[in-house]
Amino acid sequence: MNHHEKRDFQAGLEAEVDAFMRGETTRRTFITRFGQMTGMLAASGPILAMMTDWALAQQKLELADAASPLGQAQAAAMKASMEGPADGSAFRAVEAAKAHSGVTLNMTYEAGLQALDPRNFSGPMWEQLTGMKSNVVELSNPDQYSKAVAEHIAGSGAYDVLDISPAWTPSLADGGVIAPLDDYIAKYMNPADLEDYHPLYKALPTYKGKIWGFFDDGDMFALYYRKDIFEDPKMVEAYQAKFNAKLAPPKTWEEYAQIAQFITDQMAPNVYGAGHFRKAGSPGNQFDFLQQYRANGGKLFGDDMKAGLVSDAGVKTLQNMIAANAASIPGNNELDAVSLWAAFLTGKVAMIYSWPPSGRMAANYSQSATAINFIPQSQIAGKVGYAVVPGNPEHATGYNKALSADSANPEAAYLFMQWACSPPVSLARCMLPYALRDPYRISHFKSELYGALFPSAKEYLSNLNNSANVGLLDPIMPGAQDYFLSIDRMCTAVWAGADPKASLETAAAEWNETTDRLGVDSQKAFYTEFLKLPGATADNTVEKLGMSVTL
Amino acid sequence: MQHTATISRLKAAGAPPRLSGFAQWADRHFKWLLVAPAVLLILALSVYPLLFSLVVSFINYDFQVPGHAFVGLKNFERVVFDPVARWSLLLTAWLSGISVAIEFVLGLLVALTMVRSFPGRGVIMSILIVPLFISPVIVGQAWTLLLQRPFGPTNYILTQLLGQEVTIGWMTESPWLYVSLIIADVWQWTPFMFVILLAGLTAIPPNLYEAAELDGVNAWQAFWAITLPHLAPMMLLALTFRLLDAIRMFDTIFIMTGGGPGTRTYTASYYLYTVGFTQFHLSQATAGSWLFLIFTALVVMLLVRRLLKTEPV
Repeated sequence: MNHHEKRDFQAGLEAEVDAFMRGETTRRTFITRFGQMTGMLAASGPILAMMTDWALAQQKLELADAASPLGQAQAAAMKASMEGPADGSAFRAVEAAKAHSGVTLNMTYEAGLQALDPRNFSGPMWEQLTGMKSNVVELSNPDQYSKAVAEHIAGSGAYDVLDISPAWTPSLADGGVIAPLDDYIAKYMNPADLEDYHPLYKALPTYKGKIWGFFDDGDMFALYYRKDIFEDPKMVEAYQAKFNAKLAPPKTWEEYAQIAQFITDQMAPNVYGAGHFRKAGSPGNQFDFLQQYRANGGKLFGDDMKAGLVSDAGVKTLQNMIAANAASIPGNNELDAVSLWAAFLTGKVAMIYSWPPSGRMAANYSQSATAINFIPQSQIAGKVGYAVVPGNPEHATGYNKALSADSANPEAAYLFMQWACSPPVSLARCMLPYALRDPYRISHFKSELYGALFPSAKEYLSNLNNSANVGLLDPIMPGAQDYFLSIDRMCTAVWAGADPKASLETAAAEWNETTDRLGVDSQKAFYTEFLKLPGATADNTVEKLGMSVTL
Repeated sequence: MQHTATISRLKAAGAPPRLSGFAQWADRHFKWLLVAPAVLLILALSVYPLLFSLVVSFINYDFQVPGHAFVGLKNFERVVFDPVARWSLLLTAWLSGISVAIEFVLGLLVALTMVRSFPGRGVIMSILIVPLFISPVIVGQAWTLLLQRPFGPTNYILTQLLGQEVTIGWMTESPWLYVSLIIADVWQWTPFMFVILLAGLTAIPPNLYEAAELDGVNAWQAFWAITLPHLAPMMLLALTFRLLDAIRMFDTIFIMTGGGPGTRTYTASYYLYTVGFTQFHLSQATAGSWLFLIFTALVVMLLVRRLLKTEPV
């Protein structure tokens, strides 16, 4: 060691000894502290999660003014749950659920407005009635499928109650992700409450003879039009002069495009005849094509399960849709559902067909909730009429409540489902201004309280019921997402100028590839099951089966 | 003398505590213990998912088809023979190339303007780099609000400026939908180019310009002879980073066009997202990701090689 090295060594040693004497950090204290820190970090996750759960579970029950129709419906739901009638599904569910007090139910809901119901109303009320807590897991619509499957594969038991699209029922049931409810129904439910479902919706959760959930959201498309324009004597006269016909809500798709063009010609740029949500990825294209295509006599699949899209019905449907687009508000093909609502509510559009919240928004009822204030105030309240969509309207997706097969508390989860979907509780949920849950029970359509929500609510309910009588269901089979995506791509390509026939061929090829991938025989079996449902085809609607509901 | 003093001080402090067997082991392997958490974290969060994704790309992992059977190269084959996949790769190269080229030119121009000091320079620079801090989703939404008919003001403003009615479908009509996507990307990422190039410009010794001025060199000659050679490594760095980011373009497309009309605005990332999370064909999406990774790696290799060559020895 030379002189420099010795000096450096000495200096280093001195520094270390001094640090040791001063009690400064050594390796050992560093390791100890590092271990403590790691431990704290590891513990902080669960602690934070517990605090989050606690904070969310403690949300207060939000009740409307007791004198309002909603307040009365909420009070009736509470009364039915606490006092009965003793054979009511709500009462029986609450009585049985008290044995599960303290259990926390994990429930998936579509993120946003849909999740406000269990957070602000049904979750806290259920906790108040039974002592059961709820944890709402908000997911995007595709994730409501994929997460449920992923957690099932992982066997995590992360969810107890699943909100699922009816189209997913066969694959989730066959995959063991959801459990059948038949035994629980036999044990706890009043059978009359099953009969209270509108016939279009009643069979939706049924698959291979078993019940895999409770239908919980009547997403029926309906036509909303400006009565003041349709009843304007000048417009009526001009229409009569031009077409020798009365200006009235359209009964066919050709008539729809003709009326839309007439109004645009007469009133643009102040008001345009129609508007549609046609943006790529917005589900309007798939729903609209499916309803018009089937109303035009189109078949989804042939006997060999080859796509039936390339047909006269397919070409006619796209041509009708192109004509309607041409008669619509500028930017029609760029609109999503919310933009379309904005256009209608601000009075720029005379006709739209969309989901049931359209009617509640047009009457300015929904906008009474701050959660939905991103929708403009309606400038057309009191001027809106309701009609059935020409031909057959689409029941555009909807929701089933399903029981997770991996739930650690299946009975408790089932009891919540039965309670939430029971007639009095589901009515109060559907009446929440911010809720996107739409009426689906016969008792909802007949409800005096719902009918008092806004001046034209009774007509609105009647139209939803009439629409369900002739409504068509989305295909319920595996691969539905793929089939829908192909339709969306096909439509948007056509809106951008692609040839309709060639686009139909491309979509048909994609459908065939999807069918081949999933297995032709297997898909045929699913499709055959689907065709048994009322509303599967235009020849098989509730009305044509003689099961129409008259209010 | 000093050694004796140190030893006596250590003696006065008392004998060090006796170490347990574990403590001795920990003492011996201290360096490994220090890196172990990081290594474990990398293994758990990076290596394991990577290997798992490789496995997934050779099996059936589809939320609609039960079971995980080995399918060989089927997933890769589906991607390679999918015309939408091929188109999305082409569009990715095209869109990212054009966007980055425009961002580079604009970024360089702004950097050259801002390199000299002038009143208000600090405020202008702060405003210029604001888009960098905005989420691409918000950028997409903001441009949608500006461009979407019938509510966006763009066509109205153009109509007023041009004196004739403008009815462009900015997000549904070719070629305007590509123009819209490029505008949104350029608006957000030009500041990135500007910041890096400005740093490069300020690092060029000013005496070079002073000497050039004494030699009678004009501004254009100074740019070619001094600025460009000195800035070249920074330019390549900026282009490399930006290009690597641009080929992952997804958010603005998701918000502005939803991939449409048809599949016209499907980039590679959007294609993989659709296959994986709209159609739930996870194994096909994973196989596609591997193919995309290979293409990206090739681009990275080329650019990094070029970058290393420009480094001074």
